[in-house]
Amino acid sequence: MTKQEHLTSGLLVKAIDAELTNAEARVVKEHLERCGECRQKYNDFRRASVAIESGLAAIPVRTQLGEREGLRQKLEARQTARQINQTPERVMWRFGWGMAVAASLALGIVMMPKHKDKTNPVEIVQETATLTNAIEVGGETFVPLPYSNPDLPVNESRIVEMQVPVSALNDIGIVLEPVSSREARSDGSVLADVLMGTDGQPLGVHIRE
Amino acid sequence: MERADLLPLPATWDGQYVKDESRLQLVLEHYDREQLPLRRYVGFLGVDAETAREIVQESFLRLHEHLLEGGDQTHLRGWLYRVAHNLARNAQSAFRSKKTDRLTDATPTGDLAAADVSIEEDLLARERVELFQRAMQELSAAQRECLVLRAQGLKYREIAEALNLSVSTVGENVQRGLDRLKGLL
Repeated sequence: MTKQEHLTSGLLVKAIDAELTNAEARVVKEHLERCGECRQKYNDFRRASVAIESGLAAIPVRTQLGEREGLRQKLEARQTARQINQTPERVMWRFGWGMAVAASLALGIVMMPKHKDKTNPVEIVQETATLTNAIEVGGETFVPLPYSNPDLPVNESRIVEMQVPVSALNDIGIVLEPVSSREARSDGSVLADVLMGTDGQPLGVHIRE
Repeated sequence: MERADLLPLPATWDGQYVKDESRLQLVLEHYDREQLPLRRYVGFLGVDAETAREIVQESFLRLHEHLLEGGDQTHLRGWLYRVAHNLARNAQSAFRSKKTDRLTDATPTGDLAAADVSIEEDLLARERVELFQRAMQELSAAQRECLVLRAQGLKYREIAEALNLSVSTVGENVQRGLDRLKGLL
């Protein structure tokens, strides 16, 4: 048998470590059965592997009583702390921040660059009559926004007055009609009351006259 | 005391509580299986026994955090060894920066005298460890680490994860290391 026909060291070591594919393992097994030289090399690798394991196992490892229990207590303490962070009080505290973020987003909508021609004055027509699910709060009728949750409780304290760009209203599905008799602000925005839901999302919009 | 006695949770959060409990149990299962080999590996890297104990415990605490945050659970053993490996390396860097004369105590053989063994067993163990240590010094650090992790039963994929190497590099390190060692051990 020539040297080229012998198995490589890589294959032999992988065979010991069960890291071969099925096809490779078959080839190695068949070869080892008929090649004493490779079998010798394979056994040398095995002996070296066992010697490493023995040498490593001879390194003493000291454990102390109660280590596992100590770890368990630490894990439970961290888990408890995590769950406390999810109590209703904590969630409500986070809700406050959520409201602040929602207000920032609403401001973002107001500041959003408009896409329509500034020179075309528009009048916003609220087709509340056609809406079967319009929201009545504090004597005002709000056009519900498409992604709002109509089941959330509403009250007057959650009405925020702001300038809303006409383009933003178009984007969220509010019906607009260009009318020449009245003029919107020169920057294309209109004054509106925005009704905020308890989930921090705007529920509806009422365009101020 | 039952966990529920400490912190009554609303019924809607029972699912989360059960999930967290199962993660805690998973960490403890890994601890039961891996803490000794892991401590041996950290000790092999040259960390003293007390620091090794702290590193191993910290590794399992981090594993818990990893699971609570919904981290990948497919290669947890490799992940665990990587954390322990990095913590050991950091501890060694901190230790060296102190420039103390305790360096000789930070070898794996430093604990032998303290182990609860007879004098004969102690001598034999010392000889085995010294032979093993001398032979391992003939290898590169990467070869040593690959071989030790392999001797702990890790698959090449797990060793690759632990040492941040490719699987093929692990294979090469193992093969070259063994080639070198087979005449020495």
